[in-house]
Amino acid sequence: MKLLINLVRKDFKRNPAITTALVVFLILAALLMAGGLRVAGTMISAYDQLNQKAIPPEYLQMHKGEYDNEAVGHFAANQDGIQDFLTVEMLTINNASIIYQGETLEKVLMDNSFVVQNVGFDYLLNMDNQVATVKPGEVGVPVYYAEILGIAPGDVITLKKDDYIKDLKVATIIRDAQMNVAMTSSKRFLISPVDQLELSQKMGEWEYSFQFLLKEGVDTGVLEQAYQSANLPANGVAITGSLLNLYNVFSYGLVAMIIVAISLLLIFMAMLCLSYIIRAIMAEEQKSIGEMKAIGFPGKSIEILFQMKYLTLMAVAGIIGYLGAIPFGNFFSEAVVRYCGTGSSPGLIWGLPFLGMFFLSGMVAFGCHRVIKKNLNNTVMELLRGSGGRRREGHYTLPSSGFKYPNLTIAIGELGCKWREYGVILVVFVISAFLILLPMNMKNTIQDPSFITYMGVGESDIRIDVHFSQQINQQQDQVLKVLENDPEIEKKAIYKNGYLQAQTKSGEWQSIRVESGDQSVFPLVYLEGSAPIGSNEMALSYMNASELEKKIGDVLTVEYGGETMNYTIAGIYQDITYGGKTAKAAIDYRNEDVEVYILYLSLAEGINIDTKTNELREALPNIKVTPVPSFITQTLGGIVNNLSQVAAAAMAIALMISALITIMFLKLIMAREHSAIAVKKAIGFTNRDIRIQLAIRILMIQCLGIIIGTVLANTLGEAIFSLMLSSMGASRMTLLIQPLKAYLICPLVQLLVVAIAIIGGTKAVKHYHIKEQIIE
Amino acid sequence: MIKVEQISKSFKGNSPVDSTIATSVLNGVSFEIARGDFVAVMGPSGSGKSTLLYSVSGMDRVTEGQVWFDGVSLSEMNEQSLSGFRLNKMGFVFQNAQMLKNLSIFDNLILPGLVAKKEKPQVIRKRAKDLMKRMDIDGLCGRDIREVSGGQLQRASICRAMINNPEVLFLDEPTGALNSEATDQVLDILEDLNGEGMTIMTVTHDLRVALRAKRVIYLRDGAIAGEKELTAGGNREQALDDWLKGV
Repeated sequence: MKLLINLVRKDFKRNPAITTALVVFLILAALLMAGGLRVAGTMISAYDQLNQKAIPPEYLQMHKGEYDNEAVGHFAANQDGIQDFLTVEMLTINNASIIYQGETLEKVLMDNSFVVQNVGFDYLLNMDNQVATVKPGEVGVPVYYAEILGIAPGDVITLKKDDYIKDLKVATIIRDAQMNVAMTSSKRFLISPVDQLELSQKMGEWEYSFQFLLKEGVDTGVLEQAYQSANLPANGVAITGSLLNLYNVFSYGLVAMIIVAISLLLIFMAMLCLSYIIRAIMAEEQKSIGEMKAIGFPGKSIEILFQMKYLTLMAVAGIIGYLGAIPFGNFFSEAVVRYCGTGSSPGLIWGLPFLGMFFLSGMVAFGCHRVIKKNLNNTVMELLRGSGGRRREGHYTLPSSGFKYPNLTIAIGELGCKWREYGVILVVFVISAFLILLPMNMKNTIQDPSFITYMGVGESDIRIDVHFSQQINQQQDQVLKVLENDPEIEKKAIYKNGYLQAQTKSGEWQSIRVESGDQSVFPLVYLEGSAPIGSNEMALSYMNASELEKKIGDVLTVEYGGETMNYTIAGIYQDITYGGKTAKAAIDYRNEDVEVYILYLSLAEGINIDTKTNELREALPNIKVTPVPSFITQTLGGIVNNLSQVAAAAMAIALMISALITIMFLKLIMAREHSAIAVKKAIGFTNRDIRIQLAIRILMIQCLGIIIGTVLANTLGEAIFSLMLSSMGASRMTLLIQPLKAYLICPLVQLLVVAIAIIGGTKAVKHYHIKEQIIE
Repeated sequence: MIKVEQISKSFKGNSPVDSTIATSVLNGVSFEIARGDFVAVMGPSGSGKSTLLYSVSGMDRVTEGQVWFDGVSLSEMNEQSLSGFRLNKMGFVFQNAQMLKNLSIFDNLILPGLVAKKEKPQVIRKRAKDLMKRMDIDGLCGRDIREVSGGQLQRASICRAMINNPEVLFLDEPTGALNSEATDQVLDILEDLNGEGMTIMTVTHDLRVALRAKRVIYLRDGAIAGEKELTAGGNREQALDDWLKGV
């Protein structure tokens, strides 16, 4: 051990720059590996614990309106695959009636319902992940609101309709395994049965959720088929557990997933740097290996000695990285922990990073083994001369016309000879540019008003929802009256939405949501085909088309009101709303079958969307009026916020890594080119000239890296984005890029950061002197 | 031409006992070099020969004292001016023929000329070719520095040092890595150059090098222990040997 410590100490003394660079890279790799694995471990553990404690349903069917409770109960009792069944009665209260700190929740755009604690499964949990309980006069508030509105225990939520006012004291913040995340557009408040009864007599509409827990190994698809075929209440969306999982993972998992993805990229980056630096250092070690070989040390002993030396360094780096990963990992797992808790598997949180350290150590040992084995094949003399296995660099030619820009010419010439050495830093710059651009482009795309076209509707300004209630027709008339002859509204269209049964390829029936209305008012860009025309055509969302296995021109048989009709598929479009499963056709719904009337408005030139929204909210107090830009961001449930966070974090990490690796890389190449730098100084180049030459080399590589990174972000990134959203219903995403930001500001910021790093990293040039070359 | 006045040089951190203690390498050294002179600096290892060469040529800063070059104080110049000064007025040859490995021998030679931009590139190229011919290495133009012998490389170094028509040539152990034949070739060239008026200052252990000089300065413990003019004719070798034994 003493020998190893002495060897390490000697290394630091003999070659401080390279040894420091190695240690920094080892620590960086350890930190990123342990940090990334800690985030992943926390996410898996926390999500798992939430599901274990809350037991969310594996299939649920929403329904509005009257229903036959007995029929559902009978169905549940007679299905073999069902383990448990629950009807959740949800009292949906208009956001304008929910007041917190003097303001209504209208801006929040979520559908809010007040429920009592369930029995058997689908529990709402408190922040200790225990089944939450509330007394009369108290309320449990979804963690989503605690986050975005800052609601805390002890606050008061007021429910108000006309003269009726009900104050509820916030007793707890609740986690809801089913509707936790922003992407599920409904939220559940927990109240006592007494309060729910009282409220239902004064305000709100009942909505029901029939929830099923399945026996081990039973497929939700089977239950879905059975339910839909049994002609049970289905005036609402049907959701499978896997879709819930997807929403959950996509929402709070997004940041964690991207951080893990970023960490993986960074680990890859650190690995590359590590393998490069090990090769570089071992090249410097040739002489020592030669000396040992000369005095008769067996090859195996030499290998073990060097491996032990680097593993000693790795052990130190591993401990620092592992400890550093605790705050690093905790910071990026904050959202997951808030929404899901700390988890029940400490082994995952603490053990995974530990395994990562072992993996890294293995990688270091393997790297050493390969290089030393190669070196041992050389003769003692080759090793002592330092010529064993060293790749010979090429030449560049000085211009016959002389130098116009000597530093530029020399930098380019040297870069041409040593380009292999720059492969590693090129990869670092490519990944950095990619990491900075992709989340930013994704965020831009989602924030752009045109994103609405991925939500199954053409571009519009305001959306008005008239949900099913006893007064749905009166409300619809009221809306149309308010909008009538309004000069500020350029165009409007009303769409009826309801459910009907569609026949799958295997002959089974399944419920699909169909929107009926004039599709030409807000034209949509179709993936394939065009909008349905006439009464025999239908357009399907991408996910419905995939699931029903229909192509353009195919015929889909649907059943509505006891009548069977055939529709020709005219178009396929992208839609990420309602689980991605929607359709468009001219259906003459009976009034009681309309789940929701949705009106889309386009405002006249110069009319402010928010002002008009507020005006309409005042005129239509019990109706949901949503500005489309907010609708996009809020339906995508905080993904924009998450992406902003991710984009900022990715940018900070990428810039930091670029700067750090630039400094380390410079230290390394300066150490390797010590003699060339000293010669240049001796023949008349100034320190400034040499620093400029190094800067040109690095910045040229960075420019290339930024170009490649940008192309990758626009192509591969678009594919990744499409893949992420295809599970939600949009398969062909086009990233919207802000050219000024993406092609000018971001590259400039990256170049600036690296330029500053170069200024810092090349300061040591002034200490390089030809006499050291001679004395050596 | 060059006037060295009471220069001292010390390094911090070189003491094996205490790194804060400064080790003195040169102590109040003074001498002059006239135009056309050929001075060889000798002395035992660690006597400060190389430090003296680098201090006189402005490659290293002195701790005390002044170095004057044609009345201009090198000690007062900033790093940038010193680089320019060295590029235009001085030529350097080092023990190990330090060259840039990414350039051919010919490009290594012309590089200082192109950087100095005093003359047209064609003139520099022609001079390089002439110098190479004179040194008998004109067949090595496009060769890699690792493909030629030590003697050839050292002659190429002298060509590089001469490319900007310097006023003085500084050499640090120019024959230290050469065999006997190559040493003679290099020394003949130096003697010829000096004969044409080139001022030369060289540091050496080698008696053969010193014998070609006009004057020898003997350094011991960072101070001049003796100075000897070597007159033409007679038994120079015997005279130098006797002097070195007594100094």
